[in-house]
Amino acid sequence: MNLGDFLINWLANAPATAVPYALAALGLIVAERSGVLNLTAEGLMLIGALVGAGTSLLFVGHPAVALLAAMLAASVVSLLFAVLVVVLRINQVIAGLSVVFFCQGLTGLIGTLAKWQNKQLSGLAPLKIWPLSEIPVIGRLFFTQDPVVYLTILIFIAVNFILFKTMLGLRIRAVGENPAAADAAGVSVALHRILAIVAGSSLIGLAGGYISVVSVKLWVTGMTGGRGWIAVALVVFARWAPWPALAGALLFGCIEALIPHIAAAGIQVPQYLMLMTPYLATIAVMIWVGAKDRRGSQEPGALGQPHVREERR
Amino acid sequence: MIPAAPSAFRGFGRLTLDVRQDLPAWKQAAFVGLSLVFGLAISVAILAAAGIPPLTLGNELAGVLTAESLRGVLVQAAPLILVGLGASLAFRIGFWNLGIEGQMIFGGIFAAAISIYDVGPQATRLLLMGSAAALGGALWVLLVLFLKNRFRVNEIIATLLLNYVAMYFLFHLLYGAWQDAKTAFPQSSPFRPFERLRDIGYGINSGLLIAIAGVLAAGWLIHLSRIGFYTRFISANPRMAKIVGVPVQTATIWIIAASGACSGLAGFVNVASQEGRLTQSFSNGYVFSGVLIAFLSRNDPIVIAVVGFLIAVLFIAGQTLQVFYQIPFTMVQMIEAIIVMAVASSEFMIRHRIRWLR
Repeated sequence: MNLGDFLINWLANAPATAVPYALAALGLIVAERSGVLNLTAEGLMLIGALVGAGTSLLFVGHPAVALLAAMLAASVVSLLFAVLVVVLRINQVIAGLSVVFFCQGLTGLIGTLAKWQNKQLSGLAPLKIWPLSEIPVIGRLFFTQDPVVYLTILIFIAVNFILFKTMLGLRIRAVGENPAAADAAGVSVALHRILAIVAGSSLIGLAGGYISVVSVKLWVTGMTGGRGWIAVALVVFARWAPWPALAGALLFGCIEALIPHIAAAGIQVPQYLMLMTPYLATIAVMIWVGAKDRRGSQEPGALGQPHVREERR
Repeated sequence: MIPAAPSAFRGFGRLTLDVRQDLPAWKQAAFVGLSLVFGLAISVAILAAAGIPPLTLGNELAGVLTAESLRGVLVQAAPLILVGLGASLAFRIGFWNLGIEGQMIFGGIFAAAISIYDVGPQATRLLLMGSAAALGGALWVLLVLFLKNRFRVNEIIATLLLNYVAMYFLFHLLYGAWQDAKTAFPQSSPFRPFERLRDIGYGINSGLLIAIAGVLAAGWLIHLSRIGFYTRFISANPRMAKIVGVPVQTATIWIIAASGACSGLAGFVNVASQEGRLTQSFSNGYVFSGVLIAFLSRNDPIVIAVVGFLIAVLFIAGQTLQVFYQIPFTMVQMIEAIIVMAVASSEFMIRHRIRWLR
């Protein structure tokens, strides 16, 4: 196999591996912009993956239904997190971790009891945007992807618009930046935070559903394999801004897509050391973020702080 | 006092939330106890939905406390107490050590290396393996402390990600150089008898002695030693501690190293008592158990020993359910998460008062 084929095969897979990172990071950004430190991605992605897989086993041939069910399920479970951190004002790290491990346990239990383990799913065919898909190389890389890849770009445009160009987005950001001021201006802090968590979590659920329904086409216990934690790191890397998160997701998509192609190209690399690369790359990226100065970061001012009206700090 | 609204406009009234000034200890304990019962009730309900009637569950739990199973519980309690100590020592300084599984893995790997490369005389072999395990766990967490101090890398994400790195490194060894040549399973060849933690009578495994020693050492470290005094100072007010000349760096390094060493020892106890060799999954399910035990015991070593024992009962019951009812072991994690959520919620009731104003 020559280098050109290798590069094309590798890069053609990168958008699909980038989608879960991109959607999960975007969902986290929406929630964190409202001031809630959100560590739940790993768990909610598992919920999305399980429900997506289960739904596509029930409604064979309707992957769109499965992905919608994944979004809905993650939103419903995220209500639990929303109640814990917004209403009950529990420490947001403890609440996030509890939700992740709760979801890991619950999905393992349901997946095993419902016997959804390792059952082949029908998946989603790539969408060729004819005639652009017929252009050599570029057609393969950019115009022969599955529909969710294109949808992801639309979702990014839409979320960017809502967050930065609408009143709702302004309120969500205000609640995250200075909840006391937003509260005084008549914006309900609790309502906007819950809304941001639930809406963002639907994207995280879509990311999880995409992994099981479209990429792997199977449900396996714990199949997200730390992608949710990488998404949390991506948010820091992107400094809470959507477009850099998409760029970071593409970077991780490229890294993850490289792993199977190295082996397929017959290059002798220890397999398990190769599987470490996404995690090591994440840590490397975080070192890079930490080493440069923080100016220009859009980190929400009240990130991780519960809001209690008239409470002294 | 705010004057009451005219009666015509009262309607249904509304809920208000005040911050409570203080609450007697027995009421606090009652709230925590009630929330614990609530959490356990939800867990039982979920298990009932999964096909285990509560009565059967009760019998299984009672079965755990028979002499035969109690031995298993005591063996299981040792690593749990150690990871609880590991999590709590780091919590005391505001460091989220979620890399317990990675530290256990490196503890296990370091201990196994002593066995595989036949280091030292037989008489001191176990001591050497234990020390190596503590060193392995400490080094793996100090790496994160270095990244945090030097590059401001968030330790929550770094420790969690390094768990995956450690796991794949373990797989690399077990599917490669360290694979048992006789069985060709992904596990190391079994340790020799003098490399295993044996029972010391009354069905108690010597691993439990390590855990008890860990509890005493941690108690000394945080309550009596100079480092512990510094730790309290740092967690109360880090800037003030620095200004008055507390060696913040040194104290942090020691307490975090102790945290990693505890987790490394937990890995050693698991491979040298239960498994008897390095296996793929000897560290599974310990991260959140460590967090849970530290959280419920409010970082107090003596309470950690008690809570660690109770969680060991949960672990053994979970293993029984796995064998006889095909309930996956992740169920234990789910119950742990429900307990943490419930108990954390009780904090809200302790700190706030809900009133119905009409």
